[in-house]
Amino acid sequence: MAKQCLWLFCVVFLSFTANSKEYRVVLKNHLFYPAKITIPSNKKVKLLIENQDRTPEEFDSFDLNREKVLYPNRTSVIYIGPLVKGDYEFFGEFSPNTARGVVIVVDEVQHADN
Amino acid sequence: MLITSLMMSLNQLLPVAILWVILQVYSKQPVFIMWTTLISGLLMSFFYMQASPWLSQLYSYQGLEFSQIMLCVITFIAVLIFTIKRRTLAFYIAVVSSMTLYLSHYIIYLTSFWQNDDAGMSLLVGSILGVGICMSFSTLLFFLIHALKRQCGLHLVITLLALNSAAKLLLALDLASQTDLIASTMIVWDLRHILSEQSELGRVLRALIGYEATPNVLSVITYFASATVFILLCYHPFKSKEQQ
Repeated sequence: MAKQCLWLFCVVFLSFTANSKEYRVVLKNHLFYPAKITIPSNKKVKLLIENQDRTPEEFDSFDLNREKVLYPNRTSVIYIGPLVKGDYEFFGEFSPNTARGVVIVVDEVQHADN
Repeated sequence: MLITSLMMSLNQLLPVAILWVILQVYSKQPVFIMWTTLISGLLMSFFYMQASPWLSQLYSYQGLEFSQIMLCVITFIAVLIFTIKRRTLAFYIAVVSSMTLYLSHYIIYLTSFWQNDDAGMSLLVGSILGVGICMSFSTLLFFLIHALKRQCGLHLVITLLALNSAAKLLLALDLASQTDLIASTMIVWDLRHILSEQSELGRVLRALIGYEATPNVLSVITYFASATVFILLCYHPFKSKEQQ
Protein backbone atom coordinates (compact mmCIF):
# COMPACT_ATOMS: atom_id res chain seq x y z
CA MET A 1 0.00 0.00 0.00
CA ALA A 2 2.84 2.36 0.97
CA LYS A 3 4.62 1.60 -2.32
CA GLN A 4 1.44 2.31 -4.28
CA CYS A 5 0.99 5.60 -2.49
CA LEU A 6 4.61 6.55 -3.18
CA TRP A 7 4.19 5.65 -6.85
CA LEU A 8 1.00 7.71 -7.07
CA PHE A 9 2.75 10.63 -5.38
CA CYS A 10 5.59 10.44 -7.92
CA VAL A 11 3.21 10.28 -10.87
CA VAL A 12 1.06 13.15 -9.68
CA PHE A 13 3.60 15.50 -8.17
CA LEU A 14 7.04 14.93 -9.51
CA SER A 15 8.00 16.09 -12.95
CA PHE A 16 10.99 15.79 -15.20
CA THR A 17 12.85 18.88 -16.19
CA ALA A 18 14.64 17.43 -19.22
CA ASN A 19 11.78 18.15 -21.65
CA SER A 20 11.33 21.81 -20.74
CA LYS A 21 12.33 24.26 -23.43
CA GLU A 22 14.43 27.19 -22.22
CA TYR A 23 13.75 30.87 -22.84
CA ARG A 24 16.32 33.46 -21.86
CA VAL A 25 15.19 36.85 -20.56
CA VAL A 26 17.44 39.74 -19.57
CA LEU A 27 16.56 42.53 -17.17
CA LYS A 28 18.54 45.65 -17.99
CA ASN A 29 17.85 49.27 -17.00
CA HIS A 30 14.62 48.03 -15.41
CA LEU A 31 13.35 46.65 -18.72
CA PHE A 32 12.75 43.04 -19.72
CA TYR A 33 14.35 41.86 -22.99
CA PRO A 34 12.45 40.42 -24.77
CA ALA A 35 9.27 41.88 -23.35
CA LYS A 36 7.17 39.42 -25.34
CA ILE A 37 7.84 35.72 -24.97
CA THR A 38 5.91 33.39 -27.21
CA ILE A 39 5.57 29.84 -25.94
CA PRO A 40 3.56 26.82 -27.09
CA SER A 41 0.32 25.91 -25.34
CA ASN A 42 0.09 22.94 -22.96
CA LYS A 43 3.86 22.81 -22.49
CA LYS A 44 5.98 23.51 -19.47
CA VAL A 45 8.84 25.91 -20.20
CA LYS A 46 11.84 27.18 -18.30
CA LEU A 47 12.55 30.91 -18.07
CA LEU A 48 16.15 31.88 -17.37
CA ILE A 49 16.09 35.47 -16.17
CA GLU A 50 19.34 37.35 -15.85
CA ASN A 51 19.30 40.55 -13.84
CA GLN A 52 22.00 42.84 -15.26
CA ASP A 53 20.95 45.80 -13.11
CA ARG A 54 22.71 46.87 -9.94
CA THR A 55 19.52 46.64 -7.89
CA PRO A 56 17.40 43.57 -7.15
CA GLU A 57 14.05 43.14 -8.83
CA GLU A 58 11.08 40.94 -8.14
CA PHE A 59 9.62 39.01 -11.03
CA ASP A 60 5.90 39.00 -10.37
CA SER A 61 2.92 37.72 -12.25
CA PHE A 62 -0.63 37.43 -11.00
CA ASP A 63 -1.63 35.70 -14.22
CA LEU A 64 1.08 33.06 -13.94
CA ASN A 65 1.04 32.88 -10.12
CA ARG A 66 4.78 33.41 -10.00
CA GLU A 67 6.93 35.56 -7.72
CA LYS A 68 10.71 35.54 -7.42
CA VAL A 69 13.40 37.97 -6.31
CA LEU A 70 16.01 38.52 -9.02
CA TYR A 71 19.34 39.40 -7.41
CA PRO A 72 21.78 41.70 -9.25
CA ASN A 73 24.13 40.01 -11.72
CA ARG A 74 22.58 36.62 -11.13
CA THR A 75 20.47 34.28 -13.21
CA SER A 76 17.22 32.95 -11.80
CA VAL A 77 15.12 30.06 -13.01
CA ILE A 78 11.34 30.02 -13.15
CA TYR A 79 9.19 27.26 -14.63
CA ILE A 80 5.83 28.16 -16.14
CA GLY A 81 3.05 26.21 -17.82
CA PRO A 82 1.39 24.16 -19.12
CA LEU A 83 -0.88 27.03 -20.15
CA VAL A 84 -3.87 27.47 -22.40
CA LYS A 85 -3.82 29.98 -25.28
CA GLY A 86 -3.80 33.61 -24.19
CA ASP A 87 -1.70 36.47 -22.84
CA TYR A 88 -0.16 36.31 -19.37
CA GLU A 89 1.37 39.53 -18.07
CA PHE A 90 4.39 39.75 -15.82
CA PHE A 91 6.20 42.72 -14.27
CA GLY A 92 9.00 43.76 -11.98
CA GLU A 93 7.35 44.60 -8.67
CA PHE A 94 10.10 47.08 -7.75
CA SER A 95 9.81 48.92 -11.10
CA PRO A 96 6.30 48.15 -12.35
CA ASN A 97 6.13 51.15 -14.70
CA THR A 98 9.08 50.07 -16.83
CA ALA A 99 9.79 46.39 -16.21
CA ARG A 100 6.78 44.84 -17.91
CA GLY A 101 6.33 41.92 -20.23
CA VAL A 102 3.90 39.35 -21.50
CA VAL A 103 4.00 35.62 -22.12
CA ILE A 104 2.00 34.88 -25.25
CA VAL A 105 0.78 31.31 -25.38
CA VAL A 106 -0.03 30.09 -28.89
CA ASP A 107 -0.91 26.77 -30.52
CA GLU A 108 2.02 24.44 -30.90
CA VAL A 109 1.76 24.51 -34.71
CA GLN A 110 1.65 28.31 -34.75
CA HIS A 111 4.67 28.39 -32.44
CA ALA A 112 6.62 26.03 -34.70
CA ASP A 113 5.90 28.31 -37.70
CA ASN A 114 7.40 31.26 -35.84
CA MET B 1 8.32 55.53 -6.94
CA LEU B 2 5.68 56.88 -4.54
CA ILE B 3 2.94 54.64 -5.92
CA THR B 4 5.33 51.68 -6.19
CA SER B 5 6.36 52.10 -2.54
CA LEU B 6 2.71 52.37 -1.52
CA MET B 7 1.76 49.23 -3.45
CA MET B 8 4.80 47.33 -2.15
CA SER B 9 3.88 48.26 1.43
CA LEU B 10 0.31 47.11 0.94
CA ASN B 11 1.24 43.88 -0.87
CA GLN B 12 3.78 42.79 1.71
CA LEU B 13 2.27 44.14 4.93
CA LEU B 14 -1.39 43.33 4.37
CA PRO B 15 -1.10 39.49 4.49
CA VAL B 16 0.81 39.72 7.80
CA ALA B 17 -1.58 42.28 9.27
CA ILE B 18 -4.65 40.25 8.28
CA LEU B 19 -3.29 37.05 9.82
CA TRP B 20 -2.37 38.92 12.98
CA VAL B 21 -5.85 40.49 13.24
CA ILE B 22 -7.72 37.19 12.77
CA LEU B 23 -5.51 35.42 15.34
CA GLN B 24 -5.98 38.28 17.77
CA VAL B 25 -9.77 38.20 17.40
CA TYR B 26 -9.76 34.42 17.85
CA SER B 27 -7.78 34.57 21.09
CA LYS B 28 -6.48 37.85 22.46
CA GLN B 29 -2.76 37.91 23.29
CA PRO B 30 -1.12 40.10 25.95
CA VAL B 31 0.61 43.32 24.88
CA PHE B 32 4.01 41.94 25.93
CA ILE B 33 3.60 38.97 23.56
CA MET B 34 2.52 41.31 20.75
CA TRP B 35 5.65 43.44 21.10
CA THR B 36 7.92 40.40 21.43
CA THR B 37 6.35 38.93 18.28
CA LEU B 38 6.70 42.19 16.37
CA ILE B 39 10.37 42.69 17.27
CA SER B 40 11.23 39.02 16.65
CA GLY B 41 9.44 39.13 13.29
CA LEU B 42 11.32 42.25 12.21
CA LEU B 43 14.66 40.77 13.26
CA MET B 44 13.95 37.45 11.52
CA SER B 45 12.92 39.29 8.35
CA PHE B 46 16.13 41.24 8.40
CA PHE B 47 18.31 38.15 8.94
CA TYR B 48 16.39 36.24 6.26
CA MET B 49 16.86 39.14 3.85
CA GLN B 50 20.60 39.10 4.57
CA ALA B 51 20.77 35.36 3.94
CA SER B 52 18.56 35.42 0.83
CA PRO B 53 21.29 35.91 -1.82
CA TRP B 54 23.23 32.99 -0.31
CA LEU B 55 20.09 30.85 0.06
CA SER B 56 19.11 31.52 -3.55
CA GLN B 57 22.27 29.79 -4.78
CA LEU B 58 21.68 26.55 -2.86
CA TYR B 59 20.08 23.36 -4.26
CA SER B 60 20.45 24.28 -7.93
CA TYR B 61 19.36 27.89 -7.32
CA GLN B 62 16.16 26.74 -5.63
CA GLY B 63 17.22 27.21 -2.00
CA LEU B 64 15.21 30.39 -1.51
CA GLU B 65 12.01 28.76 -2.73
CA PHE B 66 12.62 25.74 -0.49
CA SER B 67 12.99 28.00 2.54
CA GLN B 68 9.85 29.95 1.56
CA ILE B 69 7.88 26.70 1.15
CA MET B 70 9.06 25.72 4.62
CA LEU B 71 7.89 29.06 6.05
CA CYS B 72 4.47 28.63 4.42
CA VAL B 73 4.07 25.13 5.87
CA ILE B 74 5.27 26.27 9.32
CA THR B 75 2.71 29.11 9.26
CA PHE B 76 -0.09 26.69 8.33
CA ILE B 77 0.81 24.23 11.10
CA ALA B 78 1.34 26.96 13.71
CA VAL B 79 -2.03 28.59 12.95
CA LEU B 80 -3.71 25.18 13.13
CA ILE B 81 -2.13 24.43 16.52
CA PHE B 82 -3.04 27.89 17.80
CA THR B 83 -6.64 27.44 16.69
CA ILE B 84 -6.90 24.07 18.40
CA LYS B 85 -4.80 24.58 21.53
CA ARG B 86 -4.60 28.40 21.80
CA ARG B 87 -0.92 28.17 22.66
CA THR B 88 0.94 31.48 22.73
CA LEU B 89 4.03 29.84 21.24
CA ALA B 90 2.00 28.79 18.18
CA PHE B 91 0.78 32.39 17.77
CA TYR B 92 4.37 33.60 18.00
CA ILE B 93 5.66 31.09 15.43
CA ALA B 94 2.76 31.73 13.02
CA VAL B 95 3.21 35.50 12.98
CA VAL B 96 7.02 35.48 12.98
CA SER B 97 7.21 32.99 10.08
CA SER B 98 4.58 34.95 8.16
CA MET B 99 6.49 38.20 8.77
CA THR B 100 9.74 36.57 7.66
CA LEU B 101 8.08 35.35 4.47
CA TYR B 102 6.53 38.66 3.44
CA LEU B 103 8.57 41.42 5.08
CA SER B 104 11.93 40.16 3.79
CA HIS B 105 10.82 41.14 0.25
CA TYR B 106 9.79 44.53 1.51
CA ILE B 107 13.12 45.05 3.28
CA ILE B 108 14.99 44.04 0.09
CA TYR B 109 13.01 46.71 -1.76
CA LEU B 110 13.61 49.38 0.88
CA THR B 111 17.34 48.73 1.25
CA SER B 112 17.88 48.56 -2.53
CA PHE B 113 16.31 51.89 -3.38
CA TRP B 114 17.00 53.81 -0.18
CA GLN B 115 20.47 54.87 -1.33
CA ASN B 116 19.02 56.40 -4.48
CA ASP B 117 18.82 60.16 -3.73
CA ASP B 118 15.90 60.77 -6.11
CA ALA B 119 13.85 57.96 -4.66
CA GLY B 120 14.48 58.45 -0.93
CA MET B 121 11.65 60.86 -0.16
CA SER B 122 9.10 59.07 -2.38
CA LEU B 123 10.09 55.80 -0.75
CA LEU B 124 9.58 57.24 2.73
CA VAL B 125 6.24 58.91 1.96
CA GLY B 126 4.94 55.87 0.04
CA SER B 127 5.92 53.54 2.84
CA ILE B 128 4.34 55.72 5.55
CA LEU B 129 1.13 55.94 3.51
CA GLY B 130 1.17 52.17 2.96
CA VAL B 131 1.69 51.44 6.65
CA GLY B 132 -1.08 53.93 7.51
CA ILE B 133 -3.58 52.37 5.08
CA CYS B 134 -2.63 48.93 6.29
CA MET B 135 -3.15 49.89 9.94
CA SER B 136 -6.50 51.56 9.18
CA PHE B 137 -7.68 48.53 7.23
CA SER B 138 -6.52 46.17 9.98
CA THR B 139 -8.34 48.18 12.66
CA LEU B 140 -11.58 48.13 10.66
CA LEU B 141 -11.15 44.42 9.95
CA PHE B 142 -10.55 43.74 13.64
CA PHE B 143 -13.79 45.41 14.69
CA LEU B 144 -15.72 43.83 11.80
CA ILE B 145 -14.58 40.29 12.64
CA HIS B 146 -15.03 40.99 16.35
CA ALA B 147 -18.63 42.09 15.74
CA LEU B 148 -19.26 39.03 13.56
CA LYS B 149 -17.74 36.83 16.26
CA ARG B 150 -20.29 38.19 18.73
CA GLN B 151 -23.11 37.56 16.27
CA CYS B 152 -22.12 34.17 14.87
CA GLY B 153 -19.67 32.77 17.40
CA LEU B 154 -16.24 31.41 16.55
CA HIS B 155 -17.33 29.48 13.44
CA LEU B 156 -16.67 32.40 11.11
CA VAL B 157 -13.25 33.15 12.65
CA ILE B 158 -12.22 29.49 12.37
CA THR B 159 -13.36 29.41 8.73
CA LEU B 160 -11.40 32.59 8.03
CA LEU B 161 -8.31 31.13 9.70
CA ALA B 162 -8.73 27.91 7.70
CA LEU B 163 -8.98 29.77 4.38
CA ASN B 164 -6.14 32.14 5.25
CA SER B 165 -3.88 29.24 6.23
CA ALA B 166 -4.88 27.22 3.16
CA ALA B 167 -3.74 30.24 1.14
CA LYS B 168 -0.24 29.77 2.58
CA LEU B 169 -0.20 26.21 1.25
CA LEU B 170 -1.38 27.58 -2.09
CA LEU B 171 1.64 29.88 -2.09
CA ALA B 172 3.89 26.93 -1.19
CA LEU B 173 2.39 25.02 -4.11
CA ASP B 174 3.05 27.89 -6.53
CA LEU B 175 6.65 28.08 -5.29
CA ALA B 176 7.06 24.32 -5.71
CA SER B 177 5.77 24.39 -9.29
CA GLN B 178 7.86 27.50 -10.00
CA THR B 179 10.97 25.46 -9.20
CA ASP B 180 9.63 22.36 -10.97
CA LEU B 181 9.49 20.44 -7.72
CA ILE B 182 5.97 19.40 -8.64
CA ALA B 183 4.28 19.30 -12.02
CA SER B 184 2.02 22.23 -12.83
CA THR B 185 -1.48 21.28 -13.84
CA MET B 186 -3.87 23.01 -16.20
CA ILE B 187 -5.75 26.15 -15.18
CA VAL B 188 -9.25 25.34 -13.91
CA TRP B 189 -10.91 28.69 -14.54
CA ASP B 190 -9.91 32.17 -15.65
CA LEU B 191 -11.62 34.94 -13.66
CA ARG B 192 -9.26 37.72 -14.72
CA HIS B 193 -12.04 39.54 -16.59
CA ILE B 194 -14.42 39.34 -13.63
CA LEU B 195 -12.06 40.06 -10.73
CA SER B 196 -8.39 40.67 -11.41
CA GLU B 197 -5.87 39.97 -8.67
CA GLN B 198 -4.39 43.39 -9.45
CA SER B 199 -7.62 45.21 -8.53
CA GLU B 200 -8.09 46.58 -5.00
CA LEU B 201 -10.68 43.96 -4.09
CA GLY B 202 -8.57 41.25 -5.73
CA ARG B 203 -5.54 42.19 -3.63
CA VAL B 204 -7.55 42.24 -0.41
CA LEU B 205 -9.17 38.88 -1.16
CA ARG B 206 -5.78 37.46 -2.07
CA ALA B 207 -4.35 38.52 1.29
CA LEU B 208 -7.48 37.49 3.20
CA ILE B 209 -8.41 34.12 1.71
CA GLY B 210 -5.80 33.49 -1.02
CA TYR B 211 -7.93 34.43 -4.03
CA GLU B 212 -6.38 33.42 -7.35
CA ALA B 213 -7.99 34.38 -10.66
CA THR B 214 -6.24 31.59 -12.57
CA PRO B 215 -5.75 28.62 -10.23
CA ASN B 216 -4.67 25.21 -11.47
CA VAL B 217 -6.25 21.87 -10.62
CA LEU B 218 -3.76 21.00 -7.89
CA SER B 219 -4.16 24.43 -6.26
CA VAL B 220 -7.94 24.09 -6.09
CA ILE B 221 -7.74 20.57 -4.64
CA THR B 222 -5.06 21.55 -2.11
CA TYR B 223 -6.91 24.71 -1.06
CA PHE B 224 -10.24 23.06 -0.35
CA ALA B 225 -8.72 19.87 1.07
CA SER B 226 -6.42 21.72 3.50
CA ALA B 227 -9.18 24.13 4.57
CA THR B 228 -11.53 21.18 5.18
CA VAL B 229 -8.91 19.26 7.18
CA PHE B 230 -8.18 22.43 9.18
CA ILE B 231 -11.87 22.92 10.06
CA LEU B 232 -12.39 19.22 10.85
CA LEU B 233 -9.39 19.18 13.18
CA CYS B 234 -10.63 22.32 14.92
CA TYR B 235 -13.96 20.68 15.67
CA HIS B 236 -12.39 17.37 16.66
CA PRO B 237 -13.55 16.14 20.12
CA PHE B 238 -10.06 16.53 21.67
CA LYS B 239 -10.43 20.29 21.45
CA SER B 240 -13.63 20.48 23.40
CA LYS B 241 -12.26 18.05 26.01
CA GLU B 242 -9.26 20.25 26.63
CA GLN B 243 -11.26 23.42 26.77
CA GLN B 244 -13.74 21.86 29.17
